[in-house]
Amino acid sequence: MSARQVPVAWSPAKWAYDAVLLAGVFGYLLAFMQLGPLLQDPARPYDGASLAIAAHGSCAFLLLTLALAIGPLARLDARFLPLLYNRRHLGVVTFLVALTHAMEVLGWHFAYSATPPLVAMLSTEPALGAAPGLPFVPLGVLALLILFALAATSHDFWLEFLTPPVWKALHLAIYPAYALVVAHVAFGSLQSAANPALALLVTGCAALLVVLHLAAAFRPAPAEAAPHAEAPWVLAGPADAIAEGRAVIVQPPGGEKVAIFRHQGRLSAVTNLCAHQNGPLGEGRVVDGCITCPWHGFQYRLEDGCAPPPYTEKLATYRLRLQEGQVLLDPRPNPPGTRVEPLVLP
Amino acid sequence: MSGDFFIGWAATPPRALRGVLLGAGLAVGLGLPAAGLLLGATAQDPAPPGYATVPGRPGLPDLPSEEALRGVILDGPSPLLQLPGGRTLILADDGKYGPTLDRDALRGRMVAAEGFVLRRGSIEMLVLRQPPTPLDDVATVPPPEPLGRWRITGEICDGKCAGGAMQPGIGIGHRACATLCLDGGIPAVFVATAPVAGHAFLVLGDATGGPALPAMRDLIGRRVTLEGAVLRQGNTLVFHAAMP
Repeated sequence: MSARQVPVAWSPAKWAYDAVLLAGVFGYLLAFMQLGPLLQDPARPYDGASLAIAAHGSCAFLLLTLALAIGPLARLDARFLPLLYNRRHLGVVTFLVALTHAMEVLGWHFAYSATPPLVAMLSTEPALGAAPGLPFVPLGVLALLILFALAATSHDFWLEFLTPPVWKALHLAIYPAYALVVAHVAFGSLQSAANPALALLVTGCAALLVVLHLAAAFRPAPAEAAPHAEAPWVLAGPADAIAEGRAVIVQPPGGEKVAIFRHQGRLSAVTNLCAHQNGPLGEGRVVDGCITCPWHGFQYRLEDGCAPPPYTEKLATYRLRLQEGQVLLDPRPNPPGTRVEPLVLP
Repeated sequence: MSGDFFIGWAATPPRALRGVLLGAGLAVGLGLPAAGLLLGATAQDPAPPGYATVPGRPGLPDLPSEEALRGVILDGPSPLLQLPGGRTLILADDGKYGPTLDRDALRGRMVAAEGFVLRRGSIEMLVLRQPPTPLDDVATVPPPEPLGRWRITGEICDGKCAGGAMQPGIGIGHRACATLCLDGGIPAVFVATAPVAGHAFLVLGDATGGPALPAMRDLIGRRVTLEGAVLRQGNTLVFHAAMP
């Protein structure tokens, strides 16, 4: 939560996350460039610069796969939500590793020539259609530019400035970036790979992501709430179905999802979208008397959807009624921060 | 905080999630290095050992060696330096530049040239330290020996990287680099998938014996089949190939 912008609000979880991530990345690069060659066929060695290019490129691909796997994993099993918490740092590290890969290519394949490296990079491949396949270098350049845009906006300043829906839409560009990276490898290194290791890695990672995303997409969605005789109220289900400290997510016909929380025998309804990053509040909990987002821990008061002072985020609230043990919801959102007395259960 | 609900800003993670977090940490902290070791151990030059193997030579590109040589400059798709005894080298400057020499003035003349030699299998390149110096000595060079017309499958590459300046010096991943080398005047070579008269590398020119580029620029780095006359010039083969 933020009352003011700071570069990074560090917490023990972030320190641990980044430490493990960096240990993995440096361990990968060290193993690839220093230990791997010791096991190579001595008759077919790579030179050091080519090895570094391959190491950083493949590392960026694996990190990108990991970043894309975390979302569906967390949707399928909430125990993976901690991996989502600091995913932006993973994204920024991915970009930096990919940038290192690009700089190494520029300094090796596109250096030592009268042609400036950047010009050489964009002018040495056959034009589209002039040779079989696709020119793989521009595919990688495009992916890197997308990763740069995403890394540069991986801060709450940009999230607030762009608004969560626009920011999230922008960051969905990670998917075309991944497709470009797969094409970059498929039309590049894989064309002359000396063994199947890289092909297995790329197809395995891409297949894993497809399976995870399909499984998450086909997860049962909340059923649409039935209209009540008294419009605009809709039936949100039995009050007993809402566990203490938790919520049910209700999908009103034609409206936004609403999260109905139960806390100390009272019900409160707010939008299901967190004001921070549109996280699914209904999958959160009531902690210290506040609705707590499962993604980044942003908190809101139950009665008015406002973040506790000094924080300023606000949620839309909704009216509730109880009729014969059934919760009725007025699906028209109140302006964010509007106080609605919690519904006291008998 | 209670149960298994994780809050990132909390001082400690919930006890129920510690096993999952430890597993994820180990997967990243140890799994990534393991993957790096596997890929690093299998990252190999796509050229099989046969490309570098000639009788009496190790199966690897030789380390560059300083040499001062005397020989005759021969014309062709790119200038060649043929030494007495038949040893024949392709020529280049440092970096991605072709040899700096006056071809018209030096054609057929004995010269002194020095630099470092790249050698891989049947190909040798002299990377010139300075332009060759013409000598007054007279030398006769046997004419090239025609070996007939050949249809050869392989890859167009630059003579410097294929000769061992880079490993890998062939393959699609190296295509842009090879194109830049050839644009800069480095001699083109054809890397055959199977040896031709004992040679895996052939100096490549067009059907008339002129330079392969720019006509064959879009074919660089791909497996292609070319047809044309093959000549033996000293201990090097020259391939006068037509566009497919």
